[in-house]
Amino acid sequence: MRIMVLAFANFREILGKERELQLNEGATVKELLDELAAIRPAFKEAAFDDTGALRDYVLLMVNRKRIDPAQDLSRRLQEGDELAIFPPLAGG
Amino acid sequence: MIEITEEDICLEEMIKRTKSKEAGAVVTFLGTVRDDGMERLEVEAFREAALAELQAIRSEAMSRFCLKAVEIVHRTGTLAVGENILAIVCSAAHRDEAFSGCRYIIEELKKRAPLWKKELGEKKGEHWVRRT
Repeated sequence: MRIMVLAFANFREILGKERELQLNEGATVKELLDELAAIRPAFKEAAFDDTGALRDYVLLMVNRKRIDPAQDLSRRLQEGDELAIFPPLAGG
Repeated sequence: MIEITEEDICLEEMIKRTKSKEAGAVVTFLGTVRDDGMERLEVEAFREAALAELQAIRSEAMSRFCLKAVEIVHRTGTLAVGENILAIVCSAAHRDEAFSGCRYIIEELKKRAPLWKKELGEKKGEHWVRRT
């Protein structure tokens, strides 16, 4: 299935603004993040700590709704979903 | 009007659009680039999501504080020290509502709108700003 990944701020600098990934049907948010880490080692370093846990400052949206990385990494994605990755907000 | 733009902000036009016979107070907030030892600031937005969030914040503020009109404009792109980043204009029947509504909008925007700033300069290098 195709998933569109959008990245912003420091994650955009590592991953590029947007890219389409092909994942197996039923892939989870965590599996998508692992795929990105495999493609871009700099992303692995920025997003995951030494134990492999997602760092606190990694924020995620699926289809423009915030998800809770502490609970929703096992959420299954669907064909055409859009996942956005970004650090804590700093507008204004 | 809710807008995210690379163009400069025209506060006078925003004020004009929020004035009405029912409004006895117009409060404005203008955020500008402070000299924190850098030369310029880059502002980035998740445009579609930020516009939706700003619309939601405006609706909340209008109903909570009985505002008559609200305008929010946030800039993106490269900005020099002293340039405008953000303008919020709120009109209400009375000043208390207008002040409270404007304060609510800036605080919620900082917490909820997907926008980021990067400081750049010869001395300090470059780094993404963390929320304060």
